[in-house]
Amino acid sequence: MAKRIVGRSELALQRKNIRESLVSLAGLIGKPVKYQGGNEIGRLVDVVVRHGEDSYPPVSGLIVKVGQNKSFIDGARISKLTQNEIELSSAKVDLTEFTRREGESLLDADVLDHQIVDVNGLRVVRSSDLYLAPLDREIRVVGVDISFKAFLRRIFPGALGRGPIPKHVIDWANVASLAHGTGVVRSNESRAALGQLRPADLADLIEDLAGRERNALIEMLDPDLAADALEEMEDDELQGLLRGLSAERSAELISRMEPDEGAEVLRDLDGDHRESIFMEMDNSVAKQLRKLVEFDETLAGGIMTSHILITHEADTVASALALLVEHRGRDISDGVVVVDAKGKLLDHIQIIELVAAKPGALLSSLMGPPYPTSVNLKTRLDEVIDEFANNRGSSIIVVDEKNKPVGRILADDLVDALASTSDTQGFAQGSGAL
Amino acid sequence: MANKRMISPKKIRIAAFLAVMGPGLIAGLSDNDPAGITTYSVLGADYGYQLLWVLVASMLALIVLHDLGARIGVVTRQGMIGLIRQKYGARSGTLSAGALILANVGTMTAEFAGIAAAGQLFGVSKYVSVPVAAIAVSFLVLRNSFATVEKVFFIVSAGFIAYIIAGFMAGPDWGAAARGVLIPTIPFTQEAIFIATATIGTTLAPWGLAFIQSYAVDKRLTKDDLKLLRVDVWTGSLLTGVIGFFVVVTCAATLHKEGIKINGAADAARALEPLAGGMAKELFAFGLIGCALLAASILPLSTAYSVSDLTGRPAALDDSPKEAPLFYLTFGLITAISAFLILIPGAPLIKILIITQVINAILLLPLLIYMYGISKDERLMGEFVATRTMKNIYLIIITVVGIAISCMLWFTII
Repeated sequence: MAKRIVGRSELALQRKNIRESLVSLAGLIGKPVKYQGGNEIGRLVDVVVRHGEDSYPPVSGLIVKVGQNKSFIDGARISKLTQNEIELSSAKVDLTEFTRREGESLLDADVLDHQIVDVNGLRVVRSSDLYLAPLDREIRVVGVDISFKAFLRRIFPGALGRGPIPKHVIDWANVASLAHGTGVVRSNESRAALGQLRPADLADLIEDLAGRERNALIEMLDPDLAADALEEMEDDELQGLLRGLSAERSAELISRMEPDEGAEVLRDLDGDHRESIFMEMDNSVAKQLRKLVEFDETLAGGIMTSHILITHEADTVASALALLVEHRGRDISDGVVVVDAKGKLLDHIQIIELVAAKPGALLSSLMGPPYPTSVNLKTRLDEVIDEFANNRGSSIIVVDEKNKPVGRILADDLVDALASTSDTQGFAQGSGAL
Repeated sequence: MANKRMISPKKIRIAAFLAVMGPGLIAGLSDNDPAGITTYSVLGADYGYQLLWVLVASMLALIVLHDLGARIGVVTRQGMIGLIRQKYGARSGTLSAGALILANVGTMTAEFAGIAAAGQLFGVSKYVSVPVAAIAVSFLVLRNSFATVEKVFFIVSAGFIAYIIAGFMAGPDWGAAARGVLIPTIPFTQEAIFIATATIGTTLAPWGLAFIQSYAVDKRLTKDDLKLLRVDVWTGSLLTGVIGFFVVVTCAATLHKEGIKINGAADAARALEPLAGGMAKELFAFGLIGCALLAASILPLSTAYSVSDLTGRPAALDDSPKEAPLFYLTFGLITAISAFLILIPGAPLIKILIITQVINAILLLPLLIYMYGISKDERLMGEFVATRTMKNIYLIIITVVGIAISCMLWFTII
């Protein structure tokens, strides 16, 4: 699988001084925590980090076993942290009981040995060790080791191969850790790196994860990218995913999906759930999707995408082109649909014809054969296929009973429709691409 | 997904079940491996119908535990060993995986021993049957997609019907069988307690528990599938019990009645010939090959899932060997080592089998305790966290298994 490298020069592990001062978390657990001057307070149980906008989460505190109790010590008290001991900056500290706070997680309990997404290698792995180092005046998590070697040295007693092997340490910025905990480990870099994945790969990643981690991943994605990934997911996986998300987030994601895909998802949900998502949507989007949802998947209205660019015959070429530019990025922007004064379908003009024409020309001057193929909203899937086969075009216009254009069916919509009605579809298909 | 308006609802339900079916059925049936069939044969030959209730109790425990394992897999999307590493630490995970690997190599050797014995009943040398089986199993898993592999598993499972046919041909005393199922009595002898414990042990195999969880993950079942998955688990476990029942009944009606002692499943097949007549021997031998082949496919697979899970490396039947080298390497090594062990002239097979049984027994208890811990961990299980009733049921099973294992270890050591 191709490696995708985050294009950023400021990775912490590329700095020599940081590489040389890495402290292994796994090796640190159980080591003494001392007052200034050397008196031991207790043994380290866990390290608490705070997640925020920083790429490298800073240590916010230590959990230390003092006698039989576990106490919390504020991270600001740490004066020296080495592989063998932690020393505090004062001779006396307040020992308080630890309570989980929003946006924090425990490195040993929540992150170590848990699944993390290696964004560069694009896979779900387990963290074998985490590395701390001083960076920007705080001690932070800077790297993670997923190697088997690091895992092995934790099993065997003693210092067998203790210490990081730089080659195997992944910069924390390239990792999306989906730890259990009150907070999701996230960083701007990992978010950016996730943004470079193909939606289909991302869909595979999402399918590999379980509830909590999966929701965490969805939450940290850019909504447009998440929506694209959702379109690539298996139907039943997607259903399960939406049940785990809030109606608000579901509405946000579905609104950003292609309308026909969004409608298909909504159609499969049970009534109450669907209604709760509609409630969270923009009125106009909800209205459009409601209409689509009503159509059967085997009818043209149920397969089509309602995104079409409608222009009037009296419009100019320049205004049609402006409309196309405005909607660039949508895969439907290969031309415009032209209607008459009553909104009835006249023609579909390809973008290339528009480009070749004079900007001031009227669209009516460009109309002429070949006229686009159109089908009714209630045309059956098999007839749509016949129309496609007969015309060899890349799309068909869908019109309502008054011959007003309401949507288009593209070749890929047809492929989707066929795939979802095919009985041969196995449960294992499309899986295991990691 | 099947189109809702083109197919009748009934067909959809069946299709949906067929799509989910697998983990419970395969994991359950593969517990009836040659060691299992041998145990059931001895149980029937030595004690007639009297200890059938032990089989029923094991089956009930199997239903509960496989249901739990499958549910953990679906909800967490992680295999058992990976979860143990995550929740109980690197050492616990590694120890569990290590014990599992050792036990699985031993058990796999037992499966090949079953294939060798059954082959010999048909006059085929073990130097032919074992390598052929090893290559067939590896080829199946290495070269095929998940869907194909699963279909082959189903077909091989059908071989178990042979035992049911043999059971009817033996003409058992159904009344006595019913009493044996319903009335729990046991002669207080060392042998009787040993065989009862062995029956529990062979039904609740650690590798089966690890397998069902990983397999549910690999099959990418979702929470929506849990209801159907429960049907699958019940079907698999019940079938496992029914097959065991017929093996016991066959041996009770023939060998026990005549007072014939046997040492193994192949023994049983041979002894059956004059008593049950006709094709009973062939049916028994055929069933033995089927169950050995199924278990011989599942064992290395279960090991490969567990090793990949421990190390956090990809593990899926749909991955290519290039994508998941560790997964396929483990599969190949387990198969090769076991086949090799069985083919070395003068290898201490009995010793290997006994040690295997001991490791499996020692491993089972911590595995059950880990599973129990995971089942009540709300952070892992979310809304599917175990209820108070279920937790009590798990604790009862753990206690009974614990007592049985202690007895077994006691008898093995003295």
